[in-house]
Amino acid sequence: PGPFPGLCPGWCPRAVPARGRKSRHDPPAKSKASRVKLPPPVDPEELLVVLERYRQHRLVLSALRAEFRAEVLQKKQEERLAAEGSVEELEEHRRLMAWNAKENARQQARREERVRKEKEEQRRRKLEIAEKQARKWEAFLEEKEKEVLQLQEEAKNFITPENLEARIEECLDNPRNYNFAIDKDGRIVKRTVLS
Amino acid sequence: MPMKGRFPVRRTLQYLSQGDVVFKSSVKVMTVNYNTAGELSEGARKFVFFNIPQIQYKNPWVQIMLFRNMTPSPFLRFYLENGEQVLVDVEDKTNKEITEHVKKILGKSKEMLEKEERKKLSHPAIFGPKKYHLRECMCEIEGQVPCPAFVPLPKEMRGKYKAAMKNEA
Repeated sequence: PGPFPGLCPGWCPRAVPARGRKSRHDPPAKSKASRVKLPPPVDPEELLVVLERYRQHRLVLSALRAEFRAEVLQKKQEERLAAEGSVEELEEHRRLMAWNAKENARQQARREERVRKEKEEQRRRKLEIAEKQARKWEAFLEEKEKEVLQLQEEAKNFITPENLEARIEECLDNPRNYNFAIDKDGRIVKRTVLS
Repeated sequence: MPMKGRFPVRRTLQYLSQGDVVFKSSVKVMTVNYNTAGELSEGARKFVFFNIPQIQYKNPWVQIMLFRNMTPSPFLRFYLENGEQVLVDVEDKTNKEITEHVKKILGKSKEMLEKEERKKLSHPAIFGPKKYHLRECMCEIEGQVPCPAFVPLPKEMRGKYKAAMKNEA
């Protein structure tokens, strides 16, 4: 069945079942009650011969296929090995790896140098900052010292309850004249008389 | 059609095919460890951004992995077929230098690439126009029927003879 007899399989799914009028659940007819379904007759010698021939044929074919498969694999392996595993290739690879290792060592040296410089810089900066701090602190202390001394000096002229009377008398005895005039050139004129 | 990303030229075929790093067939995995900040990683960053697409385009079967901010200094690591690992330090290098370095140690040389090109072009099993194939016609291949222009076909293969035979019978 089908357009190409060589191509269709032994069993093809039929679109319409070939059971005819009855479905599989209907009982068989009374006229078929004594029907005995026998398998097709088989000649045993012919069967043996045919089976033997088929066995040999398949054996030979599978052996050939395995042979060819092994040959192809072998060829591929050889080609791959020839392309990659030759002695010069390995030598070249080793040389390149050595060169790479040298480059890495060079980079390592550079990196260590850089790290060392960084550390130096940091140490130097820390020292500088500490020095500046120390200097600032000293300046501050000096300032405070000066202020204290100045205050001590001024304390000599303070008015205390003891010399209050004496100072009042002194002020009253020496009246001070704060009146003065100033012209545009900055010359001070003290001519006003205290009354 | 909008352009995607910061440098959409990286997505063009022309840019990708300009990559010249073709790895040897023993390289299986490439790993890049780099940092997203810092002056020393700048070259590595540029390499990852600009050159890795080109490399992946030319080596579609090499696995490339990127690790960010895992180590203080950037480096590349290649894993070869025989288990060997190749370490490449890329701290303080520009991306051009990195590509040159990688091409030198693990890339296929120019002659190898050319040889492969030539082999790919001249497949011995097919025949066709002289520009692309070794032989033009089936008659030129060894073991096939020779060209009737040079060696006349045997009588049995000629339609003239066959027709005459048929008419006779």
